[in-house]
Amino acid sequence: MSVIATRPARPMKASRLTLRRRRQLTGFVFALPALALVIGFIGVPIGQAIYYSFTSWNGLTSTWIGTAAWTQAFHNSNLWTALENNAMLLLSVPFALGIPLLIAVLLHQRVAGWRIFRSIYFMPTAISWVVLGLVAERFFAYQGTLNSIIHFFGFSHTNTNMLGYESTALSALGITFVFTMIGTNTILFLTGLATLDPSLEEAARIDGAGRWRIFRSITLPHLSRFIQLAFVITVIALFSALFSLIFVMTGGGPGYATTTMEFLIYQTGFNQGDFGTAALYGIILFVLTAIVGVVQLRLIGSNE
Amino acid sequence: MTLLSRPPTDERTDPFDAPTPPRRPRLGRYVLFALMVGVAIIMLYPFWVMIITSLKSEAQFLAGHGFSWLSWKTLNSTIPLGQEVLSSTIVCSASILIILCVGLPAGFAFSKLRFRSSTAVFLALVSAMMVPLQAILMPEFVNVTKLGLTGGYFGAILVYASLGTPFSTFLFTTYFRGVPDELIEAGIVDGLGYLGVMGRLIIPVAVPAIATVTVLQFIQIWDDLLVGLLFIQNTSERPITVGLAVLAAGRTTSIPALMAGSLVSALPAMLVYLGFQRYLVKGLTMGIDR
Repeated sequence: MSVIATRPARPMKASRLTLRRRRQLTGFVFALPALALVIGFIGVPIGQAIYYSFTSWNGLTSTWIGTAAWTQAFHNSNLWTALENNAMLLLSVPFALGIPLLIAVLLHQRVAGWRIFRSIYFMPTAISWVVLGLVAERFFAYQGTLNSIIHFFGFSHTNTNMLGYESTALSALGITFVFTMIGTNTILFLTGLATLDPSLEEAARIDGAGRWRIFRSITLPHLSRFIQLAFVITVIALFSALFSLIFVMTGGGPGYATTTMEFLIYQTGFNQGDFGTAALYGIILFVLTAIVGVVQLRLIGSNE
Repeated sequence: MTLLSRPPTDERTDPFDAPTPPRRPRLGRYVLFALMVGVAIIMLYPFWVMIITSLKSEAQFLAGHGFSWLSWKTLNSTIPLGQEVLSSTIVCSASILIILCVGLPAGFAFSKLRFRSSTAVFLALVSAMMVPLQAILMPEFVNVTKLGLTGGYFGAILVYASLGTPFSTFLFTTYFRGVPDELIEAGIVDGLGYLGVMGRLIIPVAVPAIATVTVLQFIQIWDDLLVGLLFIQNTSERPITVGLAVLAAGRTTSIPALMAGSLVSALPAMLVYLGFQRYLVKGLTMGIDR
């Protein structure tokens, strides 16, 4: 700010200068409540979490144990199971992006009644993941919809119970996650498609390009920023929004089969009362999401 | 950033609207339509399950057939719905009120009343958006408990407010950047003062941005489980989502009753969503639409 450069020469300018000072002061005061709230409830706890990750802490008293806390944590197989579960769930991300992309392209064709279809497709977005988890539990249950479908296709002696077994519970969770992300990602892609200049497609069509060719060479590159954003949103949701689904559907089980990092934090803290280790796991989750966050900031930055 | 920076002009347009592409041949259109119906069935599946299941008694549910209003009639004794909806409403409205009261002046400050190193402060504030609550869950819980705020709604309200503030500040800041400086200067010259300028000139222009924040936060807070579960200790003050989740995890409540409760809990968020769809879309595509 060029406060020095505009040195006052005449009284008129002097009053302008104080005006600017006042404006800056007002700005600071106006920003203060937001800053206080965020520093108090997000900033300070980050610092505390780092400190407590080096301690043994039960919520009331803490004893410093230093880096031993970290070496202990990394020798805990639960941490590795949770990280592995998170990594496995990443396999659902291509589906959580690909299916909405297809749906968005379908909607973009403007078939009769597409506005109604659009509202229907986005409707689950408004529902709590707690409720969607409850419904998903019904879907995968022994007497649920999935088995009805399997029986309908003639495999009347095949019965699945995906949430009941360690080998399949995580897949069921992943499928539910894909379903819950469809609405949000479709909205993103549809917005992207709406900004696409139709004359480009038209020109390509006149030049004799087929539909697939147009999609690959024009539509997809145009959507790349939207796909990147959807990717980041999906991955962040995967790391930090599955709690409701897991809480309702599996409680982290069977065993630790569906315990992800965020659920492990909850379990370690509130079921085992080991606040120190839970704070430590929080730092790990923080670092993981920070990596994704940096990617997103770079994306937003590249749009300026 | 171009974001939402053209205030009142293009608010009425549908964010998805683009010129209609050329008509397809008849057969292709039928295939497309069939596909869309197929997707619609999948997306409506949760509602279908909730409705069908809630219209059974527990015995009928276990038997797999039958129909009755029993679960709805006894719903209030199974789940304290009235109390829970009230709690959700209190927590939602108070949190959103704080988010707006804190975010609007901050957005005004970061866009129009910039102070020393305000850009750096703004970036730090916005990056708090990336911090998942779980990462700071333990210290947060202990702090709020020590402050004695988990007894009523205040703890949860403050946590929701602090989690929503970075996003709302970001949205308001980018939105207010589109407001001409002359408007503010004119207000100051007229002796309104900065508070008056904000109340009389800025906020009326910001109604679409306020709607976006309100709708997004309402759905987020209404649907949330973790904060309500941990930061509201009295079971009699539980929000509806928490009530449902706890009953479901307990596995003793009849599933038809749970589904009826789920429907009730889903209704407000769905109505808000259907009524204010375009604000939701705006919020989601922040930072990327042109």
